[in-house]
This record gives sequence, C-alpha cells and structure tokens, in this order.
Amino acid sequence: MILSLMDYYSHQLDSIFLALADPTRRAVIGRLGTGPASISDLAKPFAMALPSFMKHIHLLEETGLIETKKQGRVRTCTLEKKRFAMVEGWLSAQRAIWEARTDRLEAFVTATQSKEEKSQ
Amino acid sequence: MKPNVNPDLDLTISRVIKAPPSAVWSAWTNPAQFEKWWIPAPALCRVATMDVKPGGALVTEMSEDGGPFQHHLSACYLDVQEGRRIVFTNALLGGWRPAPTPFMTAIITLADHPEGTDYSAVVMHKDKETRSTHEELGFHDGWGTVAAQLAKLVEK
Repeated sequence: MILSLMDYYSHQLDSIFLALADPTRRAVIGRLGTGPASISDLAKPFAMALPSFMKHIHLLEETGLIETKKQGRVRTCTLEKKRFAMVEGWLSAQRAIWEARTDRLEAFVTATQSKEEKSQ
Repeated sequence: MKPNVNPDLDLTISRVIKAPPSAVWSAWTNPAQFEKWWIPAPALCRVATMDVKPGGALVTEMSEDGGPFQHHLSACYLDVQEGRRIVFTNALLGGWRPAPTPFMTAIITLADHPEGTDYSAVVMHKDKETRSTHEELGFHDGWGTVAAQLAKLVEK
C-alpha cells in the first residue's frame, strides 16, 4: 500500500501525540528542554521502578523525540528538536484536532449504522 | 461557492466514511448525536444552541473532569444545504452578530460514495497570530494544549 504524504504525516503526528499523552513522558521532555541528562537523573523525580521508567524512554526514542547515547556506564538523553517542528506548527495542531474530530465522527456514525443494520 | 484554499492557513480533510450521507448529516445536526463526538472523551460536550439554518447559532460547552460546563465554541451557520453541506464560522455569532474573536470558517461537505459518504472538511483560518486568543477551538481539545506547552518547552 502506498501511503500518501498526508497519511504519512498524519501517522507521524499520531505517534508523536501518543508519546506525549502521558505525564511522565511530558515531564521528561520538559526536563530535556533545559539540556541533556542521564537516565538516572531523569528517573529520580519519579516514584517508579527503573524498568517502568525505561519503557517511557524507549517509547520517546522510538518516536524520535529523544536520542540516547551510551558513554561508559552512563546513558545520556537529548531532545531531538527537529521532531518537534511537526507539532510546533500551529496549523499542524489544528489539523490534528480536526483529524481526531473526524475520527470520532466516523467511529460514531459507523457504530450507529451497524446497530441499525442489526435491528432491521 | 468553492473555497480558495491557502495552504499556510487552511486545512482539508477528505475521507470516505462507511455510512450513508444521511447518517453523517444527522451526526452534525442532531444535538444529542453531535455531543457524542465533537469533543474528545473524557471531557463532556453539551450543545447549548444548535439552530441549523443560515444565521442560526451553534453554541457548545464542555466539562472537564466532571466540573461545571464552560464555553467551548460560539459560531454561526452561514450555509446549510440539507444532507449536502454545512458552512459555519466563529467570526459571527447567531443572528449574524460580529464575534469578538473571529478565527475560523469550516465547510463540511457530504456526497454519495459507493461505500458510503465522500466526506470533506475544509477549515480556513484568519491568521497565525490569533493563536493565543482562539482558545475556544483547539486549546481545550487537548492537542492544542500539548502543542502549545511543547513549543514553550523546546523554545527554552
């Protein structure tokens, strides 16, 4: 299947917003906004086990929002600012709102539709 | 009239929805149905006014975390073609009264498609500078909030 550029863009945005739809991950982004930090420093403010915290780090890394590099025994995270250009854009935020709104409309009418078909 | 799309300010969403145009029309024009999809859960939407005719008002309210309902959108329908097209703007309030913070016009069109409805939404915006004032659309929808907070974070 060939994805159109818009579909691709929309998919990218979805994954970025999914990555950001969590308070821990937003806090990590917020901290990294002030400069690179090690995993152990980033994990300190959170009352969770390291493996759980690492899941958040991995998701942010997969989405391309952060980059991690290991030097010796320390893994350092850096914010990937380019990635944010996609959501920084005011129009892309509006687009995300309308895409999500259309998703909900579509889900609503198709669900209503299948209910009606069943009752016939 | 066809909109003159400006790629810097406008967005177009086109989809085939697998339900007949009458079902999509109903979701846009029946307040009880509209409330179910207009605002993302868990926030609740309440339609205060929905007078689907040119000059009629569309006023929505929202409640977050079960709190009191607050203003979400005040708009005015510009064009209504039964089952085919709805145009509304927040540049006007109901009865064509000028609105304090004009920001967008939306053109929703429905057409028959072998699989259901050929759906499109064209949303035209006034400019980029009004972003701080147009809280009624977007900001409360979460995405806008995230994007705005994010921009602040990475601009540090």
